[in-house]
Amino acid sequence: MQSKMKESDPILEVENLSASTDNLPILKGVSLTVYPGEIHAIMGRNGCGKSTFSKIIAGHPSYTITNGEIKFLGENINSLEPEERSQSGIFLGFQYPIEIPGVSNLEFLRVSTNARRKFLNKEELDTFDFEELVKEKLEIVKMDQAFLSRSVNQGFSGGEKKRNEILQMALLEPKIAILDETDSGLDIDALRIVASGIKRISNAQTGIILITHYQRLLDEIKPNYVHVMSDGQIIKTGESDLALELEKKGYEWTDNFIKET
Amino acid sequence: MGVSFVRVYKANCNKLFLDNMVNENLVKDVVKEPYKYGFVTDIETEKIEKGLNEDIIKLISQKKEEPRFLLDFRLKAFKKWQKMKEPDWAALGYKKIDYQDIIYYSAPKQKEKISSLDEVDPKLLETFDKLGIPLTEQKKLTNVAVDAVFDSVSIATTFREELAKHGVIFCSISEAVKNHADLIEKYLGTVVPASDNYFAALNSAVFSDGSFVYIPKGVTCPMDLSSYFRINSGDTGQFERTLIIAEESSSVSYLEGCTAPMFDTNTLHAAVVELIALDDASIKYSTVQNWYAGDEEGVGGIFNFVTKRGKCLGKRSKISWSQVETGSAITWKYPSCLLLGEESVGEFYSVALTNNLQQADTGTKMIHIGPKTKSTIVSKGISAGNSKNSYRGLVKMGTKATGSRNYSQCDSMLIGDQASANTFPYIKSQQPNSEIEHEASTCRISEDQLFYLQSRGIEFEEAVSMMVSGFCRDVFNQLPMEFAAEADKLLALKLEGSVG
Amino acid sequence: MEIIEKIKTNKSIDNQTEIQKICLDKLQSSPLPNPRSEQWRLSNKSKLSNFLDYSVNENNSKFDIPYPKNSQNNIRLIIGENCQIKLIEKNYSIRQLSEDELQKYIKEQISCFNQNENWSDLLNLSLSCKNNILGLKINGSKIPPIEIFSYASSNSLNAKTLIIFLEKNCNVELLQVNLGEDTSSLSQSTFFCLEENSSLNHGVVSFGINKSNLLNSLNVIQQKNSEYNLGSLHFKFNYARFEIRIKQSEGNAKTNIKGMQITKKDEQISTYTKIDFDGPNGFLDQINKSLADDKSHAIFEGSIIVPKIAQKTDASQLSRNLLLSNRAQIDTKPQLEIIADDVKCKHGATISQLNEEELFYMRTRGITLTEASKLQLSSYFQEIISFIPVSKDRWDLLDQLLNEN
Repeated sequence: MQSKMKESDPILEVENLSASTDNLPILKGVSLTVYPGEIHAIMGRNGCGKSTFSKIIAGHPSYTITNGEIKFLGENINSLEPEERSQSGIFLGFQYPIEIPGVSNLEFLRVSTNARRKFLNKEELDTFDFEELVKEKLEIVKMDQAFLSRSVNQGFSGGEKKRNEILQMALLEPKIAILDETDSGLDIDALRIVASGIKRISNAQTGIILITHYQRLLDEIKPNYVHVMSDGQIIKTGESDLALELEKKGYEWTDNFIKET
Repeated sequence: MGVSFVRVYKANCNKLFLDNMVNENLVKDVVKEPYKYGFVTDIETEKIEKGLNEDIIKLISQKKEEPRFLLDFRLKAFKKWQKMKEPDWAALGYKKIDYQDIIYYSAPKQKEKISSLDEVDPKLLETFDKLGIPLTEQKKLTNVAVDAVFDSVSIATTFREELAKHGVIFCSISEAVKNHADLIEKYLGTVVPASDNYFAALNSAVFSDGSFVYIPKGVTCPMDLSSYFRINSGDTGQFERTLIIAEESSSVSYLEGCTAPMFDTNTLHAAVVELIALDDASIKYSTVQNWYAGDEEGVGGIFNFVTKRGKCLGKRSKISWSQVETGSAITWKYPSCLLLGEESVGEFYSVALTNNLQQADTGTKMIHIGPKTKSTIVSKGISAGNSKNSYRGLVKMGTKATGSRNYSQCDSMLIGDQASANTFPYIKSQQPNSEIEHEASTCRISEDQLFYLQSRGIEFEEAVSMMVSGFCRDVFNQLPMEFAAEADKLLALKLEGSVG
Repeated sequence: MEIIEKIKTNKSIDNQTEIQKICLDKLQSSPLPNPRSEQWRLSNKSKLSNFLDYSVNENNSKFDIPYPKNSQNNIRLIIGENCQIKLIEKNYSIRQLSEDELQKYIKEQISCFNQNENWSDLLNLSLSCKNNILGLKINGSKIPPIEIFSYASSNSLNAKTLIIFLEKNCNVELLQVNLGEDTSSLSQSTFFCLEENSSLNHGVVSFGINKSNLLNSLNVIQQKNSEYNLGSLHFKFNYARFEIRIKQSEGNAKTNIKGMQITKKDEQISTYTKIDFDGPNGFLDQINKSLADDKSHAIFEGSIIVPKIAQKTDASQLSRNLLLSNRAQIDTKPQLEIIADDVKCKHGATISQLNEEELFYMRTRGITLTEASKLQLSSYFQEIISFIPVSKDRWDLLDQLLNEN
């Protein structure tokens, strides 16, 4: 099956990527390639650079790429604006979704969805048609319509915020989704809802990168590859059993890899 | 000695202010502890005549055998002072000061040149002993070097040799004028120009002594440095001047303490403190001010009009002010930071407690000039009795201060319904890529909290003082250890009798 | 400064009313506010003198209200045009204040004026002729929304005065619209007296074009158990000052204020507020927002005064500011003066740009930077605008005006 995947072109190619913020190097040469249909997991301690990696792929203005390149569908996207990346099909699920007081969730989702649709040369939706579409997608994350009339993420519980992220993913239908600790702060039921949502949205044409600390999300969504990150570098790559081993032995175990490399 | 009597403090019974909430059993009149440091040292002093004119300034300069540049500095400042008007904008009310009725130079008579502590008048040593600042070799405080200033002159500086080994200069400013004239000429008046304000100009004209600190490049000062100011004479103004220079990558922590005897006249204290921090240098300046505050009717006490300012000249330099202001009849003081160097940091942590008829108008100015500069202001004002406590501050983001941040927090606590608390924060920004955040609140000790503590068997007074020190904790955390404990005790002492 | 010269020589006004005389007398010795006083220190002097550089226009040219009256039962008044008002319905009455009532009330007000603090009112009352003073007494319930317009015509200074008494137990919704034509100056002074148990939802929308100037002064006295809600919006003025003075004369009253000012080009708009609590149990919730772009200058100074008598006051004041350009400037100065000990007072101030993390979040969802900024700005406005008692269908108009801006 894997060899079959590799026959098609990769979605995302990250080559020897280094980046810094305020002159402080955070990423120190990360390489990673994602083919359609693949699920990758990136694991590592807090502060190892996992979240930074996701933000840089999405184009966060606080980070500067000092070396290497990011290719999306074969094109270098190093200098693309965050919205251009999103419109072309890169989705970042935030670890801490931002609260935007005063901006209605519905309006936000509509503007966002239409931006993506416009890029795909699809017809933009008016409020009524959009409401229809959202209702359909709400079901995926088992969210109530009442969420739509509230301000973006404001006053949402941890689980509601994460479900709102998956709702956005469902609406935007990205080529690749990077989900930054989407499992943190979720109880078992919410985790199942989120995981099944992710599975329903992804397909043989899309790629997923899961950034996580824990095995429990990977029990729900089995990754093809697991990467261990430490101090801004990927120090080990393996298949899904690597995560299990890591769960058993803890991150101290991976410290040895650094010494080796 | 001009004035030489000590007022005997009457035991003072204060009624509860929080009367409607506390039952009669708790009404326990507390005998207020008298001001501990109110004694006068009987020592022969050399004073010049009262009044201020060019001749007096020349005389001061001559007595101190000063170089020409300094005399010129003084005379220029005097000319400016004469043209200035005493400020009246602060929310203060006080009797006009007669500047011709003040003695501008007073020094304890002792031998011309003192080569060691043994030659210092034992009475002086005894005075500082009594204040808890032993100066003699056997008793001196461990790991704190002290410069003791008595009226207008510096008496002694401890640990000099030890400090000299590290290249640290710590001496009286008069000595520095003689031995390090180049540094004085280069830096004096560069942070607080003589024309800065009325009292700074006056100080520049007549300053008598003060401390000088120079930390050479790369040196972390091996011990805390401390100055102890003592006003002894009743009719003498105290005009000390402190200058601290921290060269590249050096750091120092400096402590300042003050007391004065109790007189029923007001004594003027108009000091100037200048701090300069070069690249990566850091200066921490802590004050516990406990000048005599006057009695409960507002008679006597020190007028404390002080200009303190630090200049973060170098990149990543840091100046941190922390102060506990409990004394003085009137305090007028705004320790400030000029943040010029990129990524430099200014901090201001203050507790100001006023009781009886005290007035305090204090705060800070954080002037962000360089990019990525940061400042933090935490001010806690506690007003009890009939006192008036004002926070006045300025935060300014200049056009080049891109990426700079300020956070300010000003909290007031009112004890009793006769006290007043004012906040005047002034915020000005010309730089969109900067952030300023200011928060202020006013509260009183909540009945529920008091009840909770009392129901756990804690005495009423103890409960109040616990809450006050809890209120001040953010600031106390910033003080050097020994100072923090002292400050806590001082607050409890000052509050006794004012609440219950 | 034409006006000032005339005030000095006292030649400006024929047929002076008694009130005009009193005010002119007060101004004659020092016709301008002290530029060093706290209230005027930051005010742009040349802009103020430009304000005063027109001759007074007492006649009102025909004025077309910029939008049609859509709710049929709204009451519309234009200061200077509606001289005779008497509306007596089953549930309510709106009638004009008598000459005596007017005189008495204004004189009372003037007696506690302070040269710097009330300069705008002194100027207004010394220039505003009988025709341009509208005094109303409102009583009853189920009163339809009221709209009151003031406007200044080109190349002239117009002074308009509004005085309203809300009698006991009455609830009113009132929108005040101040409009300035190109190169005009409008001096608007408003006096409200809210009697016991009355409540007023007050909206103030002021906008001009190009070189319009505005001195807008609002004085409110609240008796006990009254509630005063103010939503205000000031934009598109070369120079505008909005002064709000509220006195809870016996405490036990509620005040809510949400104000917003937008400055562009080299405009200067400032808001000064002073809230006095003269009795216990007062409540205040105030938020003021400024947005400064280009080379403009926005100022907010707010003071809250809580004397000993005002125990159990609960006051909060927030100043939120957005600085959008390198050349713009914002000054803000919240101020608390408290003597009572059993009070809850807090204030806060922030100056920043649009929130970068929020912008990034929206951009990762494909929304362009411009659009994301717009969304953020409109949410920034929303809190204020939704507080202005403007019928829903006018929001579009406001939106449009703000977007043009």
